[in-house]
Amino acid sequence: MVHISDGILSFQVLAFGWIVTLLLIALTLWWSKRKGSIAEKIPKLSVVTAAFFVASLIHIPVGPTSVHLILNGLVGIMLGTLSYPAIFIGLILQAFLFGHGGVTVIGINAMDMGIPALIAYSIFRIRQSPLFGAIAGGVAVTLAVLLTAAVLLTLGESYIWVVRALIIYHIPIIVIESLIAASVVAFLSKVKPELLGGGK
Amino acid sequence: MRKIFIFIIFMVLFLNPIAEAHRLHVVYKISEVEIQAYYGGNIPCRDAKVKIYDANGLYLEGTTDKEGKFRFPPKVGVNTYKVVVEAVHMPGHKAEVTINLTKSVYTQETPLYQNIIAGFGYLIGLAGIAMVYLGWKKGKND
Repeated sequence: MVHISDGILSFQVLAFGWIVTLLLIALTLWWSKRKGSIAEKIPKLSVVTAAFFVASLIHIPVGPTSVHLILNGLVGIMLGTLSYPAIFIGLILQAFLFGHGGVTVIGINAMDMGIPALIAYSIFRIRQSPLFGAIAGGVAVTLAVLLTAAVLLTLGESYIWVVRALIIYHIPIIVIESLIAASVVAFLSKVKPELLGGGK
Repeated sequence: MRKIFIFIIFMVLFLNPIAEAHRLHVVYKISEVEIQAYYGGNIPCRDAKVKIYDANGLYLEGTTDKEGKFRFPPKVGVNTYKVVVEAVHMPGHKAEVTINLTKSVYTQETPLYQNIIAGFGYLIGLAGIAMVYLGWKKGKND
């Protein structure tokens, strides 16, 4: 559960999140456009965003709480640089329709999940194999959890224990998402390899 | 004279507190309000910090039990409370609700499947808008 709710973070942190997110959306859209027509990628973009949107409903009980899938790594692997805008749209829908996270924190939450998605894509670009897919998927969740913890640490020293709690509870999600990413990569590279990465 | 006498009897009968002594009174006080905190998928939010506010500010605080429930005694005559719940095991999660004791149960959720369908609808709509825009731009360039 790396979605931070409304009413927790300070105004400065929220504003920072929005500024970084809007800049990254502009940057990633510009970059994607330079690499080829976005129009051809819109169907894939919509389907992957839809998967990201509903993935957060899949809960796994861990200890005294529950965690849910994030799928930001898979979004990065499949959409490349377009993963940041996709996650942004997915988060808006999750906030309004599922009450996951909040509205003022969409900027920060997009950073926490979107930046790891971009990193997952750069890992996957090293070698487009199921193994690198698995690493990308796992790293994306780990980084998302670490970024969320870092943001919560701006609230003060008393939050230091949250880092440990968040990471421990997310270990099952890291494993599951690595497996999901690996199997999607293994399947798609046989059936339709152009769906992976920044391709169509 | 007779009229005054009748008036006095009237006054005695109606104003004497004993005349009212046999009126049966029923008053009530709700002694407990139960709130429940849970994550989507009906997973209880246990050990969460709960703060109850009334019009004068913080009234009570406590933690939720294993089932994500917390009970508190309302003040007599105060019907509106603001409840703020902050999760402990999943930091960064916080929710608040204003409860009104004159309404017995607070439910506001729309069924999940409706929200899922709504989300897919928005995505299809956005894709459509994007394609119309890109198509229009392409047509302009040609």
